[in-house]
Amino acid sequence: MNKETILKEIRESLVEMEEEKVVELCEKTLELNIPAYETITEGLIPGMDEVSRLYEEEEYFLPEVLVCSDVMNAGLDIVKPHLDKSSMQEPIKVVMGVVEGDTHDIGKNLVRIMMEASGMEVHDLGRDVPLERFIEKAEEVNADLIGMSTLMTTTMDGMKTVIDRLSERNIRNKYKILVGGGPISQNFADRIGADLYTKDASEAVRRVKEIFGRA
Amino acid sequence: MVPTIMQKRSNLTEKERLLKVLKGEAVDRPPVICPGGMMNASVTEVLKDIEENHNIDLDAMTAAAKAVREITGFENYGVPFDMTVESEPLGAKIDLGDKFIEPRVTEYNNKSIEDIIQNYKVNPRDSHRMGITIQAVEKLKNDEIPVIGNITGHISTATSIIDPLYALKMLRKDPDKIYRFFQFIHDYSKEYAVEMIRAGADIIAISDPTATGEILGAKNFERFAIPFYKDMIATIHQFHVPVIIHICGNANTIIDSLNDTGVDAVSFDSMVNMRFAKSKLTTRLMGNVNTQLLHTGEQGKIESITKNCMDSGVDIVSPACGLSMATSVKNLRAMTEFVKRGI
Ligand code: B12
Repeated sequence: MNKETILKEIRESLVEMEEEKVVELCEKTLELNIPAYETITEGLIPGMDEVSRLYEEEEYFLPEVLVCSDVMNAGLDIVKPHLDKSSMQEPIKVVMGVVEGDTHDIGKNLVRIMMEASGMEVHDLGRDVPLERFIEKAEEVNADLIGMSTLMTTTMDGMKTVIDRLSERNIRNKYKILVGGGPISQNFADRIGADLYTKDASEAVRRVKEIFGRA
Repeated sequence: MVPTIMQKRSNLTEKERLLKVLKGEAVDRPPVICPGGMMNASVTEVLKDIEENHNIDLDAMTAAAKAVREITGFENYGVPFDMTVESEPLGAKIDLGDKFIEPRVTEYNNKSIEDIIQNYKVNPRDSHRMGITIQAVEKLKNDEIPVIGNITGHISTATSIIDPLYALKMLRKDPDKIYRFFQFIHDYSKEYAVEMIRAGADIIAISDPTATGEILGAKNFERFAIPFYKDMIATIHQFHVPVIIHICGNANTIIDSLNDTGVDAVSFDSMVNMRFAKSKLTTRLMGNVNTQLLHTGEQGKIESITKNCMDSGVDIVSPACGLSMATSVKNLRAMTEFVKRGI
């Protein structure tokens, strides 16, 4: 089997949720000396891109997206140890969570999964996250980006509090701020001084890569 | 006493009006309600004179249900005020909320589905807040004002007990196992509904926010949601009690399947076009004043959206979904008073 065929099969099997097949194919790439980097960037990631396209088009729903993301991770587990570190850029470091008072985390998790799928390093703080935690964690891991999610109008002002506190401490410019979730809009993001708003997970990944010049 | 305009036009009690509408009979004007449970109006402003936590304390729960009606003008009593009552006895850790935040799950039960099914036995009457809610229904029972008992659907309860992402994955990876889990939750939720009816509930309202067409897709909705709703509704109907079901989000792909459930009224979110829904459904329609508008909008706009709702033929006027606790009484009254004034 040549490289093109095998990468194509990885993409297709991922979309078809065939975990064993993807694992097998990833093992085969190692036997064939296909660089792990290429398996990831031309097999697994484009496969997952296709999954998010199907999700946007309502061909796939959350159960399918979640299973595909597991399949991708199973593939990653095989090839990642063989990554030639020098071929890799430092990943974009993200601190991410659902703001205090809100426990809706399905959307945030989807954003995390898509970010991880595109190679970002995500520190997930979970849901109902005390506002101070976002700042603490970002400082601790030296993050590039703070992502905040909420689905409730009651809690959306928490995002502003985080941004204000960053400004008060003169560390606002160390981070890009990304916000999203049902009641959030571009207008709201502008008003609270966030750098970026996107309406869904795949757009978030595209735009974040763009602002960090990784598109 | 000088009769008010309303009394002149009709002498229906709030209970008669709502029950008649649910039977499909003609009334003077649509009732305006907020059923409770996920869609409740025990907002911060309504709770200000209630001392204890209305989610836990029986007297506070009853007082809050009455305060909602008196202060906001919604024409019903409804308990409880959240959707964690059913998941609490199954090992999910719950923060019981206060006057600013609803009760919510802080930690899922991380045992396996089999373990949970084997090791937990739920008897609604003895189960902390299910028991309190049943007693609250008993205390609220009366002749004039309809009392609505609210239950959370099996899918939302399941995804409050175990991690939602895990549960959603199971729909694909191990459908039989997750189906058994749903069945287990459904069985005690059904007992809970029956206990509320025995305690005097006039109506049962079901909401199941995690079971939207958008999250599950139509196929999964038909396979994992509909059969349980059908069974729940049939059981409740044995007691001659009507059922309202609330569907979150964009329901276009699942709307047809709702006709088969035997439900008396369906409530939709604000993005659902009620004229379209009406053309598809044989049941009564409830809805759907945008909740974000109710929180942040102006009174004039709230009135015009309420009017739109009525013009599009809803049988019962209500908020479109769950309210933010920061919603003002003034805004809620703009909606209820507009309906009561009549078209
Ligand atoms: C499922 C659901 C639930 C589930 C949540 C399960 C979970 N673990 O997440 C359960 C049943 C537990 C639940 C509970 C409650 N819910 Co609820 N719920 C929903 C519902 C129907 C769907 C949310 C969802 O998961 N959608 C699917 C995901 C994939 O979409 P998403 O979250 O929007 O995410 C996408 C984008 O928004 C974006 N995105 C999301 N986050 C981020 C972050 C960043 C950085 C970026 C860039 C993008 C981004 O990308 C995602 C994917 O593309 C919404 C209504 C709706 N249609 O949104 C109500 C809704 C959010 N719930 C609501 C309410 C009121 C509640 C309760 C308070 C009910 C109650 N009375 O107790 C409780 C919450 C308690 C609390 N304080 O936390 C209201 C909120 C109203 C308000 N206050 O503003 C809503 C809006 C319904 C309504 N009124 O219209 N709910």
